[in-house]
Amino acid sequence: MTVSSAPEVAFGVLPRADGSARYSHAGYTVLASVNGPIEAQRRDEHAYEAHVDVIVRPAAGVGGTRERHLEAILQSSLSQLILIKNFPRCLIQIVLQVESSPENDYVNTKLVQASLNFALMPTLMQTAILALLSAGVPMRATATATAIAVSHDKTVVDPSPRDVETARSVHVLAFTSQDDLLLAESEGDFTVKEWDDIYEAAKKICCRPAPDGASMQLDDDDSSPAAVGPDLRQFLRSTMESKVAADLHWK
Amino acid sequence: MATKHHVVLPGEPIDPSLIPTHPKHPLRLGPGLRHIPPEDIVPTVAGQLITNPAKNSMWIEYNSNRYIPSQNDLVLAQILRSTSDFYLCSLSPHTAPATLPHLAFEAATKKTRPQLAPGQLVYARVSLANKHMDPELECVHPGTGKADGLGPIAGPGCAFDVSLGFARRLLMARSREEGGVGVLEMLGGEEGGGLAFETAVGRNGRVWVGSESPKTVVIVGRALQETDRLGLGLEGQRKLVKRLVKEVK
Amino acid sequence: MPREHEPSLNEKQFVTQALQENLRLDGRELDQYRPLELTFGDQHGVAEVTLGKTKVLARATAELTVPYPDRPLDGIFTISTELSPMTAPSFEVNRPTETEVLLSRLLEKTVRRSGALDTESLCLVAGKQCWSVRVDVHVLSHDGNLTDAACVAVVAALRHFRRPDASIAQGVLTVYTPAEREPVPLSWLHSPYCVTWSFFGDEGATALLDATWLEEQVRAGSCTFSMNQHGEICQIAKLGGVPVDAVALLQCASVSLTRVKEISDLVDRRLAEDLKRRDKGGFMAELRAENDR
Repeated sequence: MTVSSAPEVAFGVLPRADGSARYSHAGYTVLASVNGPIEAQRRDEHAYEAHVDVIVRPAAGVGGTRERHLEAILQSSLSQLILIKNFPRCLIQIVLQVESSPENDYVNTKLVQASLNFALMPTLMQTAILALLSAGVPMRATATATAIAVSHDKTVVDPSPRDVETARSVHVLAFTSQDDLLLAESEGDFTVKEWDDIYEAAKKICCRPAPDGASMQLDDDDSSPAAVGPDLRQFLRSTMESKVAADLHWK
Repeated sequence: MATKHHVVLPGEPIDPSLIPTHPKHPLRLGPGLRHIPPEDIVPTVAGQLITNPAKNSMWIEYNSNRYIPSQNDLVLAQILRSTSDFYLCSLSPHTAPATLPHLAFEAATKKTRPQLAPGQLVYARVSLANKHMDPELECVHPGTGKADGLGPIAGPGCAFDVSLGFARRLLMARSREEGGVGVLEMLGGEEGGGLAFETAVGRNGRVWVGSESPKTVVIVGRALQETDRLGLGLEGQRKLVKRLVKEVK
Repeated sequence: MPREHEPSLNEKQFVTQALQENLRLDGRELDQYRPLELTFGDQHGVAEVTLGKTKVLARATAELTVPYPDRPLDGIFTISTELSPMTAPSFEVNRPTETEVLLSRLLEKTVRRSGALDTESLCLVAGKQCWSVRVDVHVLSHDGNLTDAACVAVVAALRHFRRPDASIAQGVLTVYTPAEREPVPLSWLHSPYCVTWSFFGDEGATALLDATWLEEQVRAGSCTFSMNQHGEICQIAKLGGVPVDAVALLQCASVSLTRVKEISDLVDRRLAEDLKRRDKGGFMAELRAENDR
């Protein structure tokens, strides 16, 4: 099957949740629901800030340590974005349900234990942010994330499962809308020089300036086609613009 | 409306030319904005930036589903249980309960206070809202001691859930002109064949519709929910009302 | 433990009162379903069912494993139902609620124990190797009548699913990857569907289909019929609640059959449409011709 790599999003998929979004990108589809601020349970209650609860559920099989690992990474990143001090003793619950991931036609994967997939991370992150925006949870900034695989001196943006398998190292990076590095997770062997290149490449993808800016021409010098991905920030903005317009049609 | 829609995302800088300047009034920030000293104003939600130069105020207009209590809001609360001095009420599912003192009703004394059963709906005003404390409600105007339409909701009728933005539009003084909702007027007027009903709109996204005839309640409730869900304009609302009246009768 | 939100007294009274006049809050007839929609994912074995505001996603997967020692000739078939906080914040991970247990037991009885899937066909080498087919039911949004929606999702996902092809030559088992050989459908025997009735009133005098969440919270009892389009009943579950007249229950059963036929038609139609969509371009057709033996 052909896998469309252009990002797509639908809001308000779950009518009973406070906010929800279904986002697909690079063959991954993730559905997110956000509920909150709601009352936190005693064990999660914090006197001065909200507890952010992230739950990642695999498409098939029960969640295991790999999901817990992804949850921990997302939880700490999203807690930085959400204005948790606004809601003391509350809980903001984000449930991320993986619906589909690209198939590797050359291997029969053991599906029951979905593998830890750094390639899945950006989609999870992006879906969570879109769902938070749709729920109207106050945030410091938005963020964009991307995954990059390095193999034989070649870098692949949004790697397919086959790319990940053959890659020497896989990296996930996320940047806030203020161009700050929010998240960097790496797996595999790589040199500092490689990491620097990856950082630059990821920054270029995540922090592309607005198209109407005058500085655009200056940045247009990259010639490596592998480093070009969809303009995530522009995507985030345009989808939110149409959502807001639909919500406020009466204005 | 006059100029283009300024859609903002959390953390985006706001063009200084959009911030209203007024010689006398201090600048007032509404929902969705925060002030980072010394002089940065940053949006925290995705929505449309609205400014009112006359009142020197600005806020973000957006729609959501989770009610966050704010003082003087009118809400439709549900009694959870009673303690020795107050009722614990729920404003929205799974949130911390709000307190409603037993004596915060019109002409209530220790002996004459209303006895409310768990599950009972009350129309109340938020008298205290602070992020560090549970919200407090009252069913009486603190100055005049009058109920002003607040209090336990009795009589046949049903509550319906709507989005917060829609509840706000329903509560606007001129909801038809400013909020673009004429559905209630239409139901009671010519299009709906003069249905007789009453409503209590809570900012927490709950609308109570009361009428002697269950059919009327169903028509009004569905008209409200459909208008909200489909985002109907005035013309769409008119068609919807006509269709529903025909369907249920 | 966060508690489920209860409807208000006013709502409860109104629902019961309106039902006495055969009036439902959403304007449906008593025996009318909300619009039922079924869609399939890009991958095989992914089915999403929407029933009004209720949404269920089922995903079927298969892997190689060893059969149970007491059933060496059978493959393994499991249905896993887990309600996550996505359904409602009152559901916790790893802490099954009553709703969840009842749902999984009903699905188990309806689909697995009724022999809808031929488990013998899943066995590759007796006592050594077999397929383990697993369906994960994800309840995305809960607005009542989970059972009926989940059952449609499970059946549709399994019928849509394709497992990798395998062959045994000279005692050596080869499992082919999708690139080598087109995956094959499961051996499916019959399609059972659930139809749930809710009863209201002291004697269960008012019976209605496809209750919403609010109606479910107010109802006095319920009964689930599971049957296939031929009218063969797989199970009937009436778990307590008000006593219902036996003749009325018979009436319910016969109405259930018409509903099951409607659901069955819809699933067949959607499956056929999906097959057509996938066959476009002749790519699949070409592969199939190649593998035809």
